[in-house]
Amino acid sequence: MIGDPRYAWARQLAALAVLLAVWEAAGRADLLNPMYAPSPSRVAAALVELFSDGRIWPHLEATFAAALGGLALGIAVGIVLGVVAAGVRFVAELLEPVMTVLNAIPRVILAPLFVIWLGIGLASKIALAFILVAVLIFFTVFTGIRQVDRRLIERVVTLGGGRWALVRHVYLPSVAAWVLGNLKIAVGFAFTGACVGEFVAATHGLGYLLSFAQSTYNAALMFALILLILAVVLLIFGVAGRLEKYLLRWN
Amino acid sequence: MGDARFVSLVGPSGSGKSSLLRAVIGLQQPLSGTIEIELARSQVGILFQDDALLPWKTARDNVALGLTFNGMERSRAFAEADAWLARLDLVGFGDRHPRRLSGGQRKRVALAQVLAMKPRLILMDEPFASLDAIMRARVVKDVVALVEREGISVLLVTHDLEEAISLSDEVYLLSQGPRAHITQHYPVPIPRPRDPVHSRTHPAFAPLYERLWADLSREVDQRVEAA
Repeated sequence: MIGDPRYAWARQLAALAVLLAVWEAAGRADLLNPMYAPSPSRVAAALVELFSDGRIWPHLEATFAAALGGLALGIAVGIVLGVVAAGVRFVAELLEPVMTVLNAIPRVILAPLFVIWLGIGLASKIALAFILVAVLIFFTVFTGIRQVDRRLIERVVTLGGGRWALVRHVYLPSVAAWVLGNLKIAVGFAFTGACVGEFVAATHGLGYLLSFAQSTYNAALMFALILLILAVVLLIFGVAGRLEKYLLRWN
Repeated sequence: MGDARFVSLVGPSGSGKSSLLRAVIGLQQPLSGTIEIELARSQVGILFQDDALLPWKTARDNVALGLTFNGMERSRAFAEADAWLARLDLVGFGDRHPRRLSGGQRKRVALAQVLAMKPRLILMDEPFASLDAIMRARVVKDVVALVEREGISVLLVTHDLEEAISLSDEVYLLSQGPRAHITQHYPVPIPRPRDPVHSRTHPAFAPLYERLWADLSREVDQRVEAA
């Protein structure tokens, strides 16, 4: 039925189809300049071309390596620093202002610095993805540990649980829940870092291709790459969502 | 507490009822004075106002938790936990996480968690306040039956005078804080075993309620005057 909320997806899909059809028609009627707004068929052709000659693969690989490497490192370091800062006052005093500053600035402005320090290879992209993710995870863990439900701590203590029992049964699951709750945001950050890093200076990667498309005024390629990045991130989101749902199934 | 089985503490807010319980179980230090208790730490259990179950653990895991802390093997602890869940009418709920249990069920799991430790004394900090009337009556009835059968002493903190009288052998009234102290002590002459609902119709109930109410009101009024 037309107003049934269950079929909202069908209406959204129909609207998208209409939009694409109008866009295509306008393109073919020469109402749109393909230099700025290439018709959907041109974008599709560019996308097909990227895959058909196989030259997209090394770029996809580079972006994935940078994003996932930065993500893994950022989560690991973020957790370690968050845990240590929450446990050792001295460390918190040192780290908190630094992290607060890093959190306040748009961290992608560090990209040029990383290029100077680490070169135009993979390392500078991993570093950018890493710094974006690590600060997020640090605050997630740091504030999370300090806000652990006191009632749960008291419950475990009054049942005879010691320090290790608190870590294992209260702190560890709490930290896991917060990190997983922010996993999707972290994935988005990691790909942002990878692409921006490639955009600034690189020889490979989706960000590099985007910058190449820009310098050659190839709008069709740009749209194709944007769609591709969108698909890649949605794919990883799906995996992260599954993981989150499975590990937080008690929630 | 002497030999009394079931003792209630009533008193105005801020008279330190909860603090007293927390001091008994060692969650906080008394500001002055000492806590004399002849029981080992593991023989004292506490039931909080909220269930404080670990949300990431199933009902069975939650109940088994204290047992494993005290060195029981996991498989035996799980068997014990299941037995307690069954005794509290929770057969088939062992695999559920707290979020998928009703308020009354969670309260029963929390109770099983404490009872599984085979305590000699259970401290209760308004544990029934969050339940609706019907669920509350049923959980309270189970608690009374269990502590009577298992020979467990209870120290209950409550705002609810009816609850205090209908459940207790002795009711103590705390004065208005700060520096609150016990002002009155009321033995409850209703015989055991009791049904907590029916004991409200016992002839001794109403006069005792009147007295307690009058004394508690006086304590509260004193605060108003002091302010």
